Amino acid sequence: MRTHKILTIAKRDYVATVRTKAFIFGLVLAPILFGGGSIGMSLLKGGPDLKDRHVAIIDHSGVVADALISAAKEKNDRELFDKKTHQQIEPRYVFEVIAPASSSKELTLALSDRVRNKQLVAFLEIGKDALRPPKPADDSAPGTSEKTDPDTRVSYYTNAGGIDEMRNWLNGPISDGVRLARLAQLGIDIKRNQGLSASVPIEGLSLVERDEKTGEVHEARKRGELEGFFVPFAVAMILAMIVMVGSAPMLQSVTQDKSQRIVETLLGAATPFELMTGKVLGSVGVSVTSSLLYVIGGTVAVNALGVAGLLPLTIIPWFYVYLLTDLIMLCAFAAALGACCSTPQDAQNLAIVLLMPCLIPMFMLVTVLRQPNGMLATVMSLVPPFTPILMLLRQAMPNGVPGWQPWVGLAGALAFASGTVWAASRIFRVAILMQGKPPQLAEIVRWAVKG
Amino acid sequence: MDVVRISQVTRTFGSVTAVDDLSLTVPQGSIYGFIGPNGSGKTTTMRMIVNIFYPDRGEIRLFGDGRPETSRDLVGYLPEERGLYQRMSVAGLLEFYGELRSGRSVKAEVASWLERLDLASRASDKVETLSKGMSQKVQFIATVIPEPKLLILDEPFSGLDPLSADAIRSAILDLRRRGVTVILSTHDMHLAESMCDCILMIFRGRKVLDGTLSSIQDQYGEDTIRITASSGVAEAQQLPGVEQIRDLGQTQELRLTRGADPQEVLRALVARAHVTSFSLVKPSLHDIFIRIAGSAAEEQNHANA
Repeated sequence: MRTHKILTIAKRDYVATVRTKAFIFGLVLAPILFGGGSIGMSLLKGGPDLKDRHVAIIDHSGVVADALISAAKEKNDRELFDKKTHQQIEPRYVFEVIAPASSSKELTLALSDRVRNKQLVAFLEIGKDALRPPKPADDSAPGTSEKTDPDTRVSYYTNAGGIDEMRNWLNGPISDGVRLARLAQLGIDIKRNQGLSASVPIEGLSLVERDEKTGEVHEARKRGELEGFFVPFAVAMILAMIVMVGSAPMLQSVTQDKSQRIVETLLGAATPFELMTGKVLGSVGVSVTSSLLYVIGGTVAVNALGVAGLLPLTIIPWFYVYLLTDLIMLCAFAAALGACCSTPQDAQNLAIVLLMPCLIPMFMLVTVLRQPNGMLATVMSLVPPFTPILMLLRQAMPNGVPGWQPWVGLAGALAFASGTVWAASRIFRVAILMQGKPPQLAEIVRWAVKG
Repeated sequence: MDVVRISQVTRTFGSVTAVDDLSLTVPQGSIYGFIGPNGSGKTTTMRMIVNIFYPDRGEIRLFGDGRPETSRDLVGYLPEERGLYQRMSVAGLLEFYGELRSGRSVKAEVASWLERLDLASRASDKVETLSKGMSQKVQFIATVIPEPKLLILDEPFSGLDPLSADAIRSAILDLRRRGVTVILSTHDMHLAESMCDCILMIFRGRKVLDGTLSSIQDQYGEDTIRITASSGVAEAQQLPGVEQIRDLGQTQELRLTRGADPQEVLRALVARAHVTSFSLVKPSLHDIFIRIAGSAAEEQNHANA
């Protein structure tokens, strides 16, 4: 193996890529797409439908409707207008009390028609014994209302889809109203004890730590969702995106070199292994360049936003180790797959196979975030092709992972990447000059094993 | 010293034997022509010399006892299927190939070769803007930079106009004068006759001819009469002692049956037509090629029928 040949090929591929408009465009476009999604969502969220939300209430209990109307008035007074600009920023909640009718079915059908006609967003039917605490047998899980007594439950009828803000809001005032009414029934003067139903805030904190050098005990830090969810998620997603964006073009590049008959000329000067390694290094170089720009840009951005403390800096070296390992693994895999293709169409068909080591961990991100040290998360993050993304995700979480796991994971990933490069070079050597129909999987495996 | 020594090499692809028990030695400073029909094993043999393919059996040695894998930098290879990075500049591309082979800057050589093949004015142009002939000249330069000791050229003249072909021919002959050994494959029998010191014909993976042109012709003897007759090929039909007639337009070649007397044939022909020229010649390389490949094809057709 001659290093100068590998470096010459890597340099050519690197320069050829970073000089293209597609690279420069992609460099700018990726953050815009990432950030643009969030900005777009904020813009949409910032411009809600301000039409009044009319809700009808059939209150068989006779006490809950008043509490709801009072809570809605308070909400409207408090949130309807921006305090500085005095512009309306939230929709007005308007409740209309409907007297119970002798035929409940006819009434609910009529109200349902009003919802369908968009005169109402929903209607509520409050059972006559809503104040009566449910019996233990009635203490069903949410969503199993068919088991509850219709006289004690609150029914919410709507055709709203997706996230229903009205329903989310109603939980609080209805529960508060019912609780206060129950207390009043017990003879407690609720006007003199307004805070009785006030909720208790729960503050998320990290663990208390002892500084290994000074022995000093550091107090727990405030911990929000941003730190516990967003940062690990973002770090793992960035790694996955860079790896996917960096490795996928290799498939096309090798196929293009093959279909344009460039490969044979190159093989007259370099061995297949040197050619493949050079191409892989060039591709890795391109990805590292773009990742450096993103990491530097991201660091500047979080500093400017004053949330730099949320970014675990100890993760950055691991980020790069995993990035390089994953890139080398996938680029070698892409080179082998590309060598098996004769046309760009063949390559396109195989792209999904190439991206599997990134897509599978991406589908698991939320599962791992929920239970980062659970059995599934631990095992999956130690499966070599998935280690870079999943272990990094777990390491970026506030609780971290047991110290041995990243090292074992990395050793496995490095061994797997080396094996991939070795097998890929054998497949590459055999397949690169073949034309016609792409080989079968069994044939590819045979090349990898026997060379 | 033999620059290439191939000993009993066999290479198969699945059930197809592309090269079958081939042995060959290529002396230093010679131009060795590989001829044979399409799919006969020429390109596979060349790829094995360059170490792109490995033989299943037998061995190949370069420059004495060197293995192909360790001698790659001394070999320049022009594949039959040309391919260049289309978006690179001509000079940039040639510098890349030169650097890839030698590990050093080859700017001076690139400038000199571009000048020599009349491409200096296109040095900064992208390859995709070149004509096919120009691209082939660029590919040839990429092969000869930086001064290989062995040149392997697979169909170097295919698709070239006469001017470009002359320029490449002249460059090859010049390299040979400087001690470079050249192996080239071609379907142009006249070119093989005029350029090559030795000729190898591979047919269905096996060597069927190997040697200098005269030694090959000697194997067939003087069994061909070249005539110019006023009535063309018509009067030569069904002449006794004539096995086959080849009409070249202005002249005709008559291949005699074994033991036929040329004088008898001439007398019979003069009796039928006005003959303006008559000469006894050795069979041309083209004729020999046709005899080998054509008769085998005929046998194949009979077998299939």
